[in-house]
Amino acid sequence: MKAVCWMGTGKVETLTVADPALLNPHDAIIKITRTAICGSDLHLYDGFIPTMESGDILGHEFMGIVEEVGPEVTNLQRGDRVVVPFTIACGNCLFCKKKIWSACDNTNPNAHLMEAAYGYSGSGLFGYSHMMGGYAGGQAQYARVPFANVGPLKIESDLPDEKVLFLSDIFPTGYMAAENAQIEPGDTVAVWGCGPVGQFAIASAFMLGAARVIAIDRLEERVELARSLGAITVNYSDEDVSVLTALKDLTGGVGPDSCIDAVGLEAHSAQLQGVYDKVKTALMMETDRPSVLRQAIQAVRKGGTLSIPGVYGGLLDKVPFGAAFGKGITMKMGQTNMHNYMKPLLERIESGQIDPSYIISHRITLDEAPEMYKIWRDKKEKVTKIVIDPWMEKRAA
Amino acid sequence: MSNALNEKPNAESLPVSASAGILLDGRYIPPPQDKDGKIWVRTTALVQADAEELYTVWRNVEAAPLWQEELTQVTATGPTTSRWVMESRGKTIEWDSEILADEPGKRIAWRSIGGDSENAGEVIFENAPGGRGTMVTVLQEFRMGKMTSAWETLVGRSPKQAIIENLRHFKALLETGEIPRTQGQPHEDRGMIGKMKGSAYGENIKTRREAIALQVELDPCLRKIRPHLLPRS
Ligand SMILES: NC(=O)c1ccc[n+]([C@@H]2O[C@H](COP(=O)([O-])OP(=O)(O)OC[C@H]3O[C@@H](n4cnc5c(N)ncnc54)[C@H](O)[C@@H]3O)[C@@H](O)[C@H]2O)c1
Ligand SMILES: [Zn+2]
Ligand SMILES: [Zn+2]
Repeated sequence: MKAVCWMGTGKVETLTVADPALLNPHDAIIKITRTAICGSDLHLYDGFIPTMESGDILGHEFMGIVEEVGPEVTNLQRGDRVVVPFTIACGNCLFCKKKIWSACDNTNPNAHLMEAAYGYSGSGLFGYSHMMGGYAGGQAQYARVPFANVGPLKIESDLPDEKVLFLSDIFPTGYMAAENAQIEPGDTVAVWGCGPVGQFAIASAFMLGAARVIAIDRLEERVELARSLGAITVNYSDEDVSVLTALKDLTGGVGPDSCIDAVGLEAHSAQLQGVYDKVKTALMMETDRPSVLRQAIQAVRKGGTLSIPGVYGGLLDKVPFGAAFGKGITMKMGQTNMHNYMKPLLERIESGQIDPSYIISHRITLDEAPEMYKIWRDKKEKVTKIVIDPWMEKRAA
Repeated sequence: MSNALNEKPNAESLPVSASAGILLDGRYIPPPQDKDGKIWVRTTALVQADAEELYTVWRNVEAAPLWQEELTQVTATGPTTSRWVMESRGKTIEWDSEILADEPGKRIAWRSIGGDSENAGEVIFENAPGGRGTMVTVLQEFRMGKMTSAWETLVGRSPKQAIIENLRHFKALLETGEIPRTQGQPHEDRGMIGKMKGSAYGENIKTRREAIALQVELDPCLRKIRPHLLPRS
């Protein structure tokens, strides 16, 4: 089959590799009909996540048709149409029982690597480094899905793939971000990053009762999408815009009740601290560039909540913890507990409350993926979300 | 629990404080330190299953290759004795083992009685607080010898880590009916460095359970205990 392979930092190639096979009793093989490139893939592309190895198949946002199931998969059959969550969960461990699915104990074969780095291991993820399980990803024509009895969501309506594909990650991720923001009716919520995760965090914040959402980014096409959802937007690249001042101005000096960091470890920063983080990460003295995290801690109101769906991988420098303590804020974060949200969010899509496909800007072939990784990283061509049809030979006009 | 602490699988060389037990009279006891060529490892896992079930599977030594790495066969040679065979990349290591203490549903202690390996260990099954499953604690000691060094160089896993991984496999098998793995999945050629790293990550190490994952050759004991988790014939 064809698959998009990570071949080193900044190096992605579409290659022909072996087809996947069933390996364990709860496996399924999925023939992928749509798959996407995520902001998280950029952290791999840019070499921020350790234990990626040359040859690894990328991709964790995919859906398709069940091709084959292992002997213990009783809920799926060949021909079923499914969306696959990017976190792999067993359904039986203490954490799955507590519905903290992304902390599953039993799905990371390389748990010892993550234990060494984080103390404990989270669940396995598709296409996201050996530390996170070393599972082959879904930017390919087929994928092996472990614990298929627990994860995949069956789509029984005839909704097109593009409307349900983002149930594989970013819609639930944006939703959990809003849930973690502990929004109360009437609240004002600030969201950093108007990428796909930010978009769904904005939409979900409104669904969960926010009166106002303030969205922050520098890319005009993205803040425009945010405005289309009803958010107030702050473009920090505009002359004389200070995000902290803007957030005070827009909240009567109080600050947002909740702040959502939908940017993560590769935040862009034009200021001195950006240079500081670039130098430090280049010298390996710091692993992440937490400029949005710093700003959000500073901006949130006293006693407010900071929700962090943006990914951080390692050690952060100059995080204003004194401000966090001084204001008594709450912080919530983590990989999305996918399995809690897929079904309820599918219902919202089915009932027409939201059509997640509004963020798609590019529809491409597998062969175009390497080129598109560059464009996605550099945010060129007004890219907002890239969807791959792994069976398409030439890009449709 | 304090009773369990008095039994010592290998009295000769155990320090006074050693046991799989982590508590003595409410006091935390750290794991014993490596000393005089002896290696210790203590590891613990919270498993969502009854102590009785876990004990029964562990006590069934012939089923050990389903979840212990690189074991090819274990044969019972008497009510409390068994022969263990480990094979890795053409090398075979064999030893005999004897069960020293056997408290159904609670505890098993064993030691080697000749062969290529000098080891002793015990496992304790206790109810976790709040009815949250069973805490399984393993204490194992080895003397550096043919097996331990072969293990390290051939398998690419330190013997300490292997004990930790074995308990992890035991938990996964008992909780889900399988041991997660990626061996056999597609990827582009990794080159020399990638291959070496794959070994360092432990991705090439096998249990027989993995090797036979999709077949129905299963231990009758496992089948009886957790029928809902095992492949149907
Ligand atoms: N928690 C999870 O389970 C989970 C799941 C999916 C994605 N993520 C993470 O969410 C983050 C966003 O993902 P995405 O797909 O939307 O990525 P993306 O790269 O498309 O979007 C990031 C956006 O942040 C903006 N940005 C950068 N610096 C900024 C700054 N200083 N202030 C405001 N905005 C800034 C960029 O312009 C861009 O629009 C990533 O870190 C990704 O890894 C987390
Ligand atoms: Zn993603
Ligand atoms: Zn689990």
